[in-house]
Amino acid sequence: MASVTAEPIDTTIEVPGKRTPLVTGAHNYGTVTDAVCRLAECKTPLAWYVALGISASLMGMLFGLVGYLIITGVGVWGNRSPVFWGWPIVNFVFWVGIGHAGTLISAILFLFRQDWRTGINRAAEAMTIFAVICAGLFPGIHIGRVWLAYWLFPIPNQMAMWPNFRSPLLWDVFAVSTYATVSLLFWYMGMIPDLASLRDRAKGKIQQFAYGLFSLGWNGSSRHWHRYERAYLLLAALATPLVLSVHTIVSFDFAVSQLPGWHTTIFPPYFVAGAVFSGFAMVLTLMIPVRSICGIKDLLTDRHLENMTKVIIATGSMVGYAYAMEFFIAWYGGNRYETFAFINRAFGPYAWAYWIMVTCNVISPQLFWIKKIRTTPWMIFVVCIFVNIGMWFERFVITVTSLSRDFLPSSWGYFKPTIVDVLMLIGSFGLFMTLFLLFCKFLPMVAMAEVKSVMPRPHGKGDH
Amino acid sequence: MATTIEQSEETKAKAEPELLGLLAEFDDPDALIEASKKVRDAGYRKWDTHTPFPIHGIDEAMGIKWTILPWIVAGCGLTGGTIAVGMQYWMNAVDYPFLISGKPLFSIPASIPITFELSVLLAAFGAFLGMLGLNQLPKLYNPIFKSEAFRRVTNDRFFVSMDAKDAKFSEIDTGEFLKSLNPINVEEFWSDTESPKLPRNLTLGLSLVGVVMLLLAGLVAYVRTTTSPDPRIHIIQDMDFQPSLKAQNTTNLFPDGREIRPNLKGTIPRGQFKDDNIPFYYGLKYLPEDQDVVTIALQDEKKTDDKKAPADKASAEKPAAPAAVDPVAAKLDKLPWVTEFPIPVTEKLMARGKERYRIYCSACHGLGGEGDGLVSLRAMELLQGTWVKPASYHTENVRKLPIGRLYHTITNGVRKMPAYGSQVTPEDRWAIVLYLKALQKSHQIDADTISEAEKRKLRDTK
Repeated sequence: MASVTAEPIDTTIEVPGKRTPLVTGAHNYGTVTDAVCRLAECKTPLAWYVALGISASLMGMLFGLVGYLIITGVGVWGNRSPVFWGWPIVNFVFWVGIGHAGTLISAILFLFRQDWRTGINRAAEAMTIFAVICAGLFPGIHIGRVWLAYWLFPIPNQMAMWPNFRSPLLWDVFAVSTYATVSLLFWYMGMIPDLASLRDRAKGKIQQFAYGLFSLGWNGSSRHWHRYERAYLLLAALATPLVLSVHTIVSFDFAVSQLPGWHTTIFPPYFVAGAVFSGFAMVLTLMIPVRSICGIKDLLTDRHLENMTKVIIATGSMVGYAYAMEFFIAWYGGNRYETFAFINRAFGPYAWAYWIMVTCNVISPQLFWIKKIRTTPWMIFVVCIFVNIGMWFERFVITVTSLSRDFLPSSWGYFKPTIVDVLMLIGSFGLFMTLFLLFCKFLPMVAMAEVKSVMPRPHGKGDH
Repeated sequence: MATTIEQSEETKAKAEPELLGLLAEFDDPDALIEASKKVRDAGYRKWDTHTPFPIHGIDEAMGIKWTILPWIVAGCGLTGGTIAVGMQYWMNAVDYPFLISGKPLFSIPASIPITFELSVLLAAFGAFLGMLGLNQLPKLYNPIFKSEAFRRVTNDRFFVSMDAKDAKFSEIDTGEFLKSLNPINVEEFWSDTESPKLPRNLTLGLSLVGVVMLLLAGLVAYVRTTTSPDPRIHIIQDMDFQPSLKAQNTTNLFPDGREIRPNLKGTIPRGQFKDDNIPFYYGLKYLPEDQDVVTIALQDEKKTDDKKAPADKASAEKPAAPAAVDPVAAKLDKLPWVTEFPIPVTEKLMARGKERYRIYCSACHGLGGEGDGLVSLRAMELLQGTWVKPASYHTENVRKLPIGRLYHTITNGVRKMPAYGSQVTPEDRWAIVLYLKALQKSHQIDADTISEAEKRKLRDTK
């Protein structure tokens, strides 16, 4: 039986010439399965019901408000002339950004053979799916006549008209729906062997049927594994440019317009960096409590957390660079509207939002240079909360400041959200958390098969 | 799975259930690799290993060939890209051309995002479904799962399975061979004696659901391809039906409960603007009681009024006697026409009037106002007796008409002359009247009353 050293080790210490173990504690293949499956098999703790109750109520509130919006009209939001793209779009871009970490961890780190991804990829991918669901809701209800949303799709309707394929808003439809579909396939395909584990351990009839249905009759055949690994590699190779394309295309919604502050070529890379930044922060925000509560600290070690904080430093610095570069180009480009837009962001009526954004996004991730902070889970958690807040404000600053003060002072205005705006944002977190809690309870939260494949072999003859 | 089994040539199974194969269980991946090499070298073809995670090195140990999956994915990706380009070209450049700001109907850069997305989408489906298809999954039933020990295959155990269909397979020899590989355990797995059948009610229920769905789809298709006297069903009413207010009803929308709204202070109701300046807009000193006559053109009146007067059309220049019999003309004569210009008479207005006269009037009435315009000359030639020559301004009757009446004629037309009120603004109409009066004067003046200086000036003017 495979097992690693029994005594707990500090995985964050760098030992030259030695690889840090990815799984700590006295684990062998069987105990890894036990640890992960226990979540689905044990008696559900009361805390889970409480958490689900809260988040499901918030989700209910969200859907209630969506109903209210559809019946009443989009006037229930604060979107008014000149700011027609208010919180719904801010929330959309924010949630799409959150959805980037999962596929990035899974696909890019997989292609780079970063084995530490195995501990976190499943939960991160699940987070991606749920965040994209939250994101997809907002443009869907933002279009005004919601029941005509199908006009966005190239399907024949009674007016014999087709959508305009040169519009970035239509590119969005394709990008986000493709991203959601491919992420779902990637997530589900990765889960098939683990669902088979749950099926083989299931006691109840319903469990056996459900896990049996979704594991598709997986029997661990090596011939199957061969094709499976190839398919997984191909999906990772497809998902990698897809991740980069999605937020690039979302940024086109802004960059292809002529509005000062939006019409900038830095938007695609800057949006992608910001998305990865916020996505990693959200993964950490979720996983730090989850790994303690669910008892999977051995699989999701401090080393994992530390690696992710390093990604946050990198992407956070990119975001900070982008903020600086926007100012530089506004000045260097000599376009007076552009210059005004950026000075107005930092010192105009939305200066408060701008400085919250800078504090949270540029300054707070730099704290991770301090080893103490990036190896202490609760400190990571706090910083990540700040990053999430900052990234929401980044989307807010970009969307609202440019629209509220464009070329003509005669068309200026100040955006005020309504209570519906605020409650819908909170409700979207309810939707996200509800889905995540259901995932924690019923699905394998750690990719067991992948973790086992990176555990050291007992006889040391393999390639690990 | 087949349940009725005929006696197989290869197996020694006496009757059902049939022996499907043998399972050897290992607890260590490296032992499995070693065993795999031996099975491969022993010449077996239909066999497999089962592991909880992919073991690197087992492909060579088992002699697994490279999968064709990448080619499937590449094919799907190319298909997706082709569909995307074709779709965008056909939809936006051919079937429903979108011309926006002079941009080309189809261009490569604008098509790249969707082409990329659809390529990736179809390639991803190719990878996922291709993997499932090549692995012959999903498989709802597999007799190998009847083995208790095999449940640990997805946990921490490693298995070699030998298929009884293999040419080299024999229950005893193969069993001995497997035992020689040092497994923890070797066991057989058998086919079921009973065919696993779906519950009867489930089949019936699913069929019913299927039939109902087909019926619904058929109904939708039928309704969409036929016509009906009934109005469409509006689930969401958009702007098709509006709760419009009716003038004499009550409402709780306004505090006074009236649906009809009083005029707001400072607004002018539609059509009442002109009443502020009646001389300017109507050419009348005040509006008479019978307002209809003000706007009715003489020509229209003639058509509808009575058919007794057609002989009258010969000429309007001699209305002295017929005027008494023409009720409309008589009505018009009695109206209180203005005799003073209601706007300041200036040099500029005269110039404007000359310009407008030449544009709108001279074609029929002639540059000098004698009714000899080119249109009239041509019409005389072609239509001879039926053409009514436009009035010359220089007859006694026309000269005596008050300017308000002239203005009215331009606005509403007379006889064959159409109404010009919609083309010429009121101010321009007055300018034309002014120029017309000047024309009349120019034909009547006695040369002796003009001073020498004025005569010289006139000769110099072109």
